[in-house]
Amino acid sequence: MFGYYLELAFRNLKRNPGLTALMIGAVALGIAVCVVSMTMYRAMSGNPIWWKNDVLYAVTMDFWDPDEDYFDSKPGLPPQQLTYNDALAVYASDIPKRKVIMHKAVGIVSVDGQQVKPERVLTRVTTKDFFAAFDVPMQYGGTWTDAADTGPEPVVVISRKINDKLFAGANSVGRHIRWNDNEFRIVGVRENWMPLPTFYDVNNGSLEEPEDVYIPFGWNAALEIYSAGNTNGWKPEDIKTYRDFLNSENIWIQMWVELPDAQSHDRFKAFLDNYATQQKSGGRHARKLNNRLTRPDQWLVDNEVVGNDDRVLVGLAFAFLAVCLLNTVGLLLAKFLNGAPVTGVRRALGASRRQIFMQHLVEVGVVSTLGAALGLALGAVLLMGLRALYTMDPNDAAGTQALAQVDMTSVVTALALAFFATIAAGLYPAWRIGRIPPASYLKAQ
Amino acid sequence: MTAWNIRPIASALWRNRTGAMLVAFQIAIGLAVLVNAVYVVKQRVEKIGRPTGMDTANMIWVSSSGFAKDFDHDAAWRADLAAIREIPGVKAASMISNIPLSGGGSSSGFEPKPGQDTTESVPANTYLVDEHAIAALGVTLAAGRNFEASEILPPIETFDSAPQAIVTKAFAKGLFPDDPNPIGKTFYDGLDKPIAIVGIIEHMHGAWVGWDKLDHVVLFPRIDNGPGSLYLVRSEPGRRDAVMREIEAKLGDSNPDRLLRWVRPFDYFINQSYLDDRNMAIFLASVTSALLAITALGIFGLATFNVSTRIRQIGTRRAVGARRMDIVRHFLVENWMVTTAGVVAGCGGALAVGYWISTKYELPRLDLYYLVGGVLAIWLIGLAAALQPARRASTISPAVASRTV
Repeated sequence: MFGYYLELAFRNLKRNPGLTALMIGAVALGIAVCVVSMTMYRAMSGNPIWWKNDVLYAVTMDFWDPDEDYFDSKPGLPPQQLTYNDALAVYASDIPKRKVIMHKAVGIVSVDGQQVKPERVLTRVTTKDFFAAFDVPMQYGGTWTDAADTGPEPVVVISRKINDKLFAGANSVGRHIRWNDNEFRIVGVRENWMPLPTFYDVNNGSLEEPEDVYIPFGWNAALEIYSAGNTNGWKPEDIKTYRDFLNSENIWIQMWVELPDAQSHDRFKAFLDNYATQQKSGGRHARKLNNRLTRPDQWLVDNEVVGNDDRVLVGLAFAFLAVCLLNTVGLLLAKFLNGAPVTGVRRALGASRRQIFMQHLVEVGVVSTLGAALGLALGAVLLMGLRALYTMDPNDAAGTQALAQVDMTSVVTALALAFFATIAAGLYPAWRIGRIPPASYLKAQ
Repeated sequence: MTAWNIRPIASALWRNRTGAMLVAFQIAIGLAVLVNAVYVVKQRVEKIGRPTGMDTANMIWVSSSGFAKDFDHDAAWRADLAAIREIPGVKAASMISNIPLSGGGSSSGFEPKPGQDTTESVPANTYLVDEHAIAALGVTLAAGRNFEASEILPPIETFDSAPQAIVTKAFAKGLFPDDPNPIGKTFYDGLDKPIAIVGIIEHMHGAWVGWDKLDHVVLFPRIDNGPGSLYLVRSEPGRRDAVMREIEAKLGDSNPDRLLRWVRPFDYFINQSYLDDRNMAIFLASVTSALLAITALGIFGLATFNVSTRIRQIGTRRAVGARRMDIVRHFLVENWMVTTAGVVAGCGGALAVGYWISTKYELPRLDLYYLVGGVLAIWLIGLAAALQPARRASTISPAVASRTV
């Protein structure tokens, strides 16, 4: 029976090619716009480390200006970063399973005796747990040791991208590169990794590609490395030397910890509060105690990584899909009612309401399947267009390319949504046509 | 009113209300989206189009990074700028610490009086510049003078100001609201160091396009700290691209201790800063147009369906004396009723969406002119979409009334 209905559906659709094209086109356009908006929304707002959402925490403390909040729009929220000294003091705690203090810097990378041009790369100055805490995949080797952090030892982890460029993709562990003219030994090569958004550092745009080079945190003081991200201060301080800068109230260090259970969470929170209270009694601060451990999902919300534009776009996409589906319902209804005399004959010849309903539902299914397929293709084209819109410099488009990588989950969601929405949209016309009393259409014949 | 046959048209419509309601619903959504999209797009276009105060079309930025251990910053920038000035078509070349409108830069708070009272603090974008910056930026000095070459201070390690500054009019007004020409007046940085105003720039944009203090700019006479340096080059009108190629050729390999990172037109940074605004405008405009097109197709489909199911009735009406004009009018009025029902519902929707957007973006509430314009536009679109089916209906021959099928 299904095969027969399918044949009938195609025959009916062929009878009104204009109307059919209009219906399929409307469904396709609705799906395409939804796929694009959802990919964009996911790229901006998804939690790229959801599987560790219950154990990872951003550490923030409020040692900011006693007279003014850090965020005008969110009073009470502590700044996203810590001072150098606070970060080091809290890092000393052995309560967390893993702990990371870090910031972004820039460096020029070169290799002795190679004809590769020196290249400026974003660098993360961080501690050894960075890779394990954020589940960063490695191609070769691994991270460095505790001793390398404090030493500091001249060891480095580079990205697969840089490794491909400098060493043609070979296992380069044990070889050397120069970072700002200082020799570093490679201990690991990071596999391609693109968390969207880059939740661990939300200071400079959340669609940036992760850094290509990672060096131990101890090199800050040794090489006098300043942040290439944000450095914020509130207190007028006479800073003459790098040492003064490290001791200042400027905030520029990000901190994350991994706390596997509620007990370690509470212990670490108590440790933080204790540290802050000590600092206050030492006369450092008039601000009230405000230390926070924030999970990744809340962190993205607090830092407004999900922009207002994105939400408006998603609202628009759903309005658009609604219009497309209403349109399809209207057209299907018109089409079915147009064929009512034929249906009348079928009913008179003994087709049951249920059979009429099923027959029309198969026709709806054909329309929605064709629409979904076309919509997917159209969505791919639109995403390419979107990538062009966001690409300023073809050599510098890594983050935005990731934006246009069609994320399978969002495609499946959008497709399922559109498919079932169209079927649901077709239910009413199919039901309505089954209710028609056959006699009224037979009379006119 | 009887000439328009409102009553019979309405009752005919009511008998087939499902299709009409579906279209009215589409129109309601279409109006709500249209009105608000136009409003948001207009805001974005105005934001992007604000005057910058600079000669942006002819400006080039050059970034150089010294990396060798024995890199000589002072010698390098002097040699680079001298080489750039020799290139034909170069009007001015200067050393500046940051790129305005690029989203990166420094800002500080300043006060009109010394003391620790920070309540009167006026924030500004700060730049360290040499004596060529005014010419290279292409800004207009409204009062006072440029820096002298002898006043340019050497680089220092730390975040510092200078005893003199050229400031924008907007910043000067923020500091000294009652003094229209505060040349020679002194203001203070966070450490209470005095700074004398030597010149006032008519208008200039600073670093962050989303900041409401974008036009608060302070230029300090100081060479930026190495080993990286940023040069600003202004070309003769229309010669920018040729000058850029020359700079790359000349500076690319001139100094092995540093890397010429890039040579870029100013537009690159400005476009990047406004990228989200521009893309939002493009996205909104295209999705809204597509939505209206689909709605128009829906109207067209409904009208076509109504015509095709009423061929016999139309023939009968024609046979008993209705003119073609009457048939066209019948379908247009019918369609107008559907559109109007949608528009009425859509006005409520438009205001609700407008309220949501105004709270999200902290914008003034939606102007009612937009709603009036949107209603007119929807009426026109509805009319245009129904015109062809209505005209086709009017060509139905009266003879069909006498046929049996």
